[in-house]
Amino acid sequence: MIRFEGAAKRHPDGTVAVRGLDLDVPAGRTTVLVGPSGCGKTTILRMVNRMVVPTAGRVLLDGADVASLPAARLRRGIGYVIQQAGLFPHRRVIDNVATVPRLLGWDRKRARARAAELLELVGLPPETARRYPAQLSGGQQQRVGVARALAADPPVLLMDEPFSAVDPLVRAGLQEELLRLQAELGKTVLFVTHDIEEAVRLGDRVVVLREHGEIAQLADPHTLLTAPADAGVAAFLGRDRGLRGLGLRPAGAVPLAALRPSYDAWELVLDQEGRPEHWRRGGERHPAPVFAPDRDSLRSALDAALLAPSGHAVAVDAEGRAVGTASRAAVVEALAAAGPVPGQVPHAGR
Amino acid sequence: MLDGEPLVRWRWLGDHFGYLADLTADHAVIALVPVLLALLLAVPLGLACARFPRMYQPLAAVFNVVYALPSLAVFVVLIPYTGLATRETVMVPLTCYALAVLLPTAVDGLRAVPEPVRQAATAMGYGPWRRLAAVELPASVPYLIGGLRVAAVSSISLAAVGALVGRGGLGYLFVDGFQRTFPTPILAGIALVALLALATDLLLVAARRVLAPWARGVAR
Repeated sequence: MIRFEGAAKRHPDGTVAVRGLDLDVPAGRTTVLVGPSGCGKTTILRMVNRMVVPTAGRVLLDGADVASLPAARLRRGIGYVIQQAGLFPHRRVIDNVATVPRLLGWDRKRARARAAELLELVGLPPETARRYPAQLSGGQQQRVGVARALAADPPVLLMDEPFSAVDPLVRAGLQEELLRLQAELGKTVLFVTHDIEEAVRLGDRVVVLREHGEIAQLADPHTLLTAPADAGVAAFLGRDRGLRGLGLRPAGAVPLAALRPSYDAWELVLDQEGRPEHWRRGGERHPAPVFAPDRDSLRSALDAALLAPSGHAVAVDAEGRAVGTASRAAVVEALAAAGPVPGQVPHAGR
Repeated sequence: MLDGEPLVRWRWLGDHFGYLADLTADHAVIALVPVLLALLLAVPLGLACARFPRMYQPLAAVFNVVYALPSLAVFVVLIPYTGLATRETVMVPLTCYALAVLLPTAVDGLRAVPEPVRQAATAMGYGPWRRLAAVELPASVPYLIGGLRVAAVSSISLAAVGALVGRGGLGYLFVDGFQRTFPTPILAGIALVALLALATDLLLVAARRVLAPWARGVAR
């Protein structure tokens, strides 16, 4: 666990970056610091690995003051991912990833074997190992950055706007990947972003900051969207909070109806494996929007129902086979039944 | 020029092939050993300047002043200390000139490493010296080689002036040709200086490909 105790940072010129932060970052969960630029979120993050030394207060890592450990040793136990990845241009991808194990004294062969495992873990094909960073796309470089941060299996991962510099489609993929990794690895992740969507999507807990690193609200994503602490937080969250909150609700609550031969003159056409192909009415054909009740959110289910020409979203299993349908009315029924307290929430999938 | 004397006496070239080869080899040593020495000095000095930035301005100023001095004057001034017609008379100033080119390139190269790279290295537990040696120095190799190309070619050209104080490899051909009003050695000297410069440059380009394969075709 990471604990900030009155941690403050005043620059030599007198400006205050962080006035005095008290915050507990629980182990094994993802905590997202979100706020406008200049709110001190990066400064707070860097206090953990002593890239920034607090001018007052202290930061504890598993009960020990980070100032009491030698900086190099402290840092080798903390993964760090930044916006531009910061890969070493002169080292091949595999050796970039092997950096910290090598610093920890592993022999080259073992460090490379570990690096190869990590490249696979972050979804990079084996042939990328021998490339140089400049030969990779921005998204691939970010994956290498994540792999490099995880190489020595540090319990703590600091991520400073790691996905901000890549295009939205790639960013969504990287976010998905991080959620998958985190479900598998259970690291203590402290993640900084200015993008509230990203915060709500990735965080188990979201800390909304205003200037000087003051906490405006600390809550789980659902509470944040449905009950912002004040008008400032509500404004920062932006429009459509209620709708976006649906992205945090599981679609499993939607009652499914058995497949029927026809839906008001629309017919659902399946392929040989039972996967939906399209909706057909006479010579008219429309794509059949689907959702997976065990993985997707209520928002996806509602979206699918709204887009379907028949008004029925098709529910599919893990193999993409149709298992039932849900009418718009059925989805709305599930919305109405959804209580204010979230259960085990899936993340907005897409 | 004497009437009837051709611009190039091809026979003379053939007769003096071994002599010309010796002069070329001599010229290469006089010109390029100082560049290597300067490189050996520029790397540690550059690292120190990158670590302690305040050192850089005074050092750069000193070498810039040295660079501004006319080479012939410096050769002459050094004669009492090193003796006429010794290699040192020429090689000491050439080392200084090369250093004046290489020190700024070394420092600029080390500084050109992008800030995120530096920060990532620090965050992974590199101390300042270790980071310089393991990250910034190798990442600055393309810059260093760029500086070496400039320094080497300029040193090859300057070394010819050394002939006026009795040393200077191919420069001797110019002195000889002028004294005898005989253009063939002058033209041969010009051609060989140019060839030596070209060969050295190609060698350095090849060295860059081997030592910094990652920099090939990299725009940044």
